[in-house]
Amino acid sequence: MRGPHDLGGLPGGPIEPAVHEHEPTHWEKRIEAMMVLLFDTKRRLGRVDESRRMQEALGEDYHKYPYYERRLQAVSRLMLEKGVFSQEELEAKQREVRARLEAERSGS
Amino acid sequence: MDPRFHPGDSVRVLERNQPGHVRTPLYVRGKVGVIERIVGSFPNPETLAYGQTGLPYKMLYRVNFEQKLLWHDYDGKPEDSLEIEIYEHWLEPA
Amino acid sequence: MSDQHHDLVHATHTHDGKPIQNDDRPPLEAETLETAIRELLIEKGVISSDDIRRAIETMDDRGEALGGKIVARAWVDEDFRQRLLSEGDAAVRDFGIDMRPTELCVVENTDEVHNMVVCTLCSCYPRPILGLPPVWYKRRDYRARAVREPRAILAEFGTTIPERKQVRVHDSNADLRYLVLPQRPAGTDDWSEEQLAELVTRDSMIGVADVRGPTD
Repeated sequence: MRGPHDLGGLPGGPIEPAVHEHEPTHWEKRIEAMMVLLFDTKRRLGRVDESRRMQEALGEDYHKYPYYERRLQAVSRLMLEKGVFSQEELEAKQREVRARLEAERSGS
Repeated sequence: MDPRFHPGDSVRVLERNQPGHVRTPLYVRGKVGVIERIVGSFPNPETLAYGQTGLPYKMLYRVNFEQKLLWHDYDGKPEDSLEIEIYEHWLEPA
Repeated sequence: MSDQHHDLVHATHTHDGKPIQNDDRPPLEAETLETAIRELLIEKGVISSDDIRRAIETMDDRGEALGGKIVARAWVDEDFRQRLLSEGDAAVRDFGIDMRPTELCVVENTDEVHNMVVCTLCSCYPRPILGLPPVWYKRRDYRARAVREPRAILAEFGTTIPERKQVRVHDSNADLRYLVLPQRPAGTDDWSEEQLAELVTRDSMIGVADVRGPTD
């Protein structure tokens, strides 16, 4: 069975390198930074292999998420699986953060 | 750990349908290539992916495939090739 | 729909080629999740804001310029070139680069062979050298097609490979990370290592382009 990530040899569209090119955003770098830190030899809260497993487990949704959102989903699920924070803690924090960001975005 | 294969050996990638996390893409399974070099022994990603230790380590090889043997419709030059890393437990002599 | 449909095309460079901070924001839900996770990790003492800032600074030090220095050194210093090809990890340690837990494999373009790198299963990339991979490298189209029709892809990058050359694709699927050592362009015999380093592009080190010299 072909996983959603196993793409080698499938048909695809043009690469259009000039279109699909941008300087990484600060938000994208924050996600990468978190992954580097969580998986480093000091913290060892996961492995890149585990993050890949989590992304592959997204199934149909694998291609719905843009790249960094997919990695973020993987980190989130991995930290929940490892009990670094709980689903309740995450949801409460998301409510708080969403309200703050909404206010910030409508004000800008 | 002694490597089972050596540079120049002809090998076939197993046509195994293994559930879980694996690093052997579908497009090389069942295909015959040649050992380019022994990379060394590495923790097994198939168990690392589940938070385990990756022990026992697996011997890793770079395997060279002729493109025209990978794809029936390959339209580049006949010499064109592809190299990929394959763990020993995915290989058999060909 | 493309798997990068939210990505905005905002190349932001200052005149000296250094990136300036790209503050484009993702959709609200995505920013909410990232911020929530980060703040929880900080509250629990797992990471600190300082850790994040330092990790981003480290990322910003990587890229085309760092890769270019390595390539230029290999062009002018035969001992280094040999070391880079045979024990990449040790060679790039001269530049303060630590490849662990992966290993570096440098593949050299010659008059006979053109090398090109892809990761069909995810987006493996020599990050300790080149930083974060370009958007197209991580997209479905490149990952799907690069192993099967490399010459067509090279053409889409405007790269013409002479008939006589073999194209060798490297699928970066496990513990090695690949850096292409491109060919030194003609007309650069009297150039300094520093001048040569400036010529080297990221795409040439992924193998989708050649390095252009003064006569190209």
